[in-house]
Amino acid sequence: MDDQRPQLPNVFTDQATGQRISLLDWQASNRRASWLLSLFMIGLLGGIGYLAALAFDPGGAIFFVGIAAVLAVTQSAAAYWFSDKMALAAAGARPATVQEHRYLVNVTEAVAIGAGVPAPKLYVIDSPVPNAFATGRDPEHGTIAVTSGLIKLLDRQELEGVVAHEMAHIKNYDIRLMSMLAATLGAIVLLRDLVLRSLRFGGRRSGRGGGRAQAIGMILLVVLLIVAPLLASLLRLAVSRRREFLADATGAYITRNPEGLARALEKLRDFKGKLEVSEGVRHMFFINPVLKLNANSLLATHPPIEERINRLRRM
Amino acid sequence: MGWIVLIILVALALYAVYLYNRIVTLENRYQNAWSQIDVQLKRRTDLVPNLVETVKGYAAHEKEVFTRVAESRERMLRAGSIDEQAEAANMMTAALRSVFAIAENYPELKANENFRVLQEELAGIENKIAYARQFYNDAVLQFNNAIKTVPGVFLAGPMGKRPHVYLEIPETEREVPQVSFRPAS
Repeated sequence: MDDQRPQLPNVFTDQATGQRISLLDWQASNRRASWLLSLFMIGLLGGIGYLAALAFDPGGAIFFVGIAAVLAVTQSAAAYWFSDKMALAAAGARPATVQEHRYLVNVTEAVAIGAGVPAPKLYVIDSPVPNAFATGRDPEHGTIAVTSGLIKLLDRQELEGVVAHEMAHIKNYDIRLMSMLAATLGAIVLLRDLVLRSLRFGGRRSGRGGGRAQAIGMILLVVLLIVAPLLASLLRLAVSRRREFLADATGAYITRNPEGLARALEKLRDFKGKLEVSEGVRHMFFINPVLKLNANSLLATHPPIEERINRLRRM
Repeated sequence: MGWIVLIILVALALYAVYLYNRIVTLENRYQNAWSQIDVQLKRRTDLVPNLVETVKGYAAHEKEVFTRVAESRERMLRAGSIDEQAEAANMMTAALRSVFAIAENYPELKANENFRVLQEELAGIENKIAYARQFYNDAVLQFNNAIKTVPGVFLAGPMGKRPHVYLEIPETEREVPQVSFRPAS
């Protein structure tokens, strides 16, 4: 009786290590890595605040740490509540209607049933270039936007694959994590500018003479100010790439059809043309709208398409 | 010594309560998953008269096909148990497929806007049934695992819970909608 149950593709070979790993383990390790990186970035932010305090005025430590904390919290909160509306507006997306986009609506509702999540809201971007992105802080507020070109170019299985990939981002809380990381990075940059400005114009506030701790603090601060934003961006990109692989694997699991998603990726790779979107939302898309064939770069938001296809074909 | 025994007994009792709730939750989940399939089957049954009406306007003499569709709809409406519903659903799937097969011979029908909407709706429903069935089987798998493995297996007997059967999934492409509902027992 139980033997009739078909095998699920939840175990596959990791190309990087050649090991066979299960999807669940991989999801867990991705989650751990993401949270560690987030903690690291918040620590970085706090460190800058503390060193700034040390360098300027040890008595005013609370002032700078406080600013750092307030910046991080407000930016994260803003990202948490408004990132979906901002992203949709930036991409020029309009709500999809059942009358006009029956096919897309049917495909999405079907995949949502399979994934066991509420059907996400749907938006359409009028552009011949095939692409898609997901936004929304949790599955209850999930939103998927696709271009009209994507609907035209892909058959049902391929569209299911792309929609399932985007739904995986929602289900895995990727959007929440990425917008929080972006907000933390923004706060670090803001704090850097704040400190640099007060260095230039305000000078030192303390008249109590520079102690040794203060001098060391100042040097460390300058180094950190230069390194921190770079380090934070690299970390954010690393998280982004990991999350793309994870969404591919989760999407393949939801549809039980890695081949559909792989074929969709091939079609998108071979399509000539670029989607004009602002830099701030590029990382959210199914494939990077501008750089399609870049190599395994530290600065890429997405893994190379070839590698994504290869991993799907190995499942 | 007595205290330690008491603490262990209380911990065991709490764990048994947790296990009991988990088994009930998983059972509810797969029963709820069936209602997902049920909703789609009902929607499909409701669309059938509309489809027949539209097709008759162009291909009135294809009586055999219409009879089959009407029969399957009758059985669907009468079906009580999950087995009966599954069988009627299979019949309807086959009947609808023959409707869309004959439609290929009538270009004017194929160009009809109403027909095209119905065709997409019915294809969408077939697809949703396939996914709902997949989710149902996932839920049944979780339930069966919970009551067949230690420690759930110790509670399943007293609770009167037995492994549930899966819905058979045919080895076909999803693009060509094909639904087989025969329980695989």
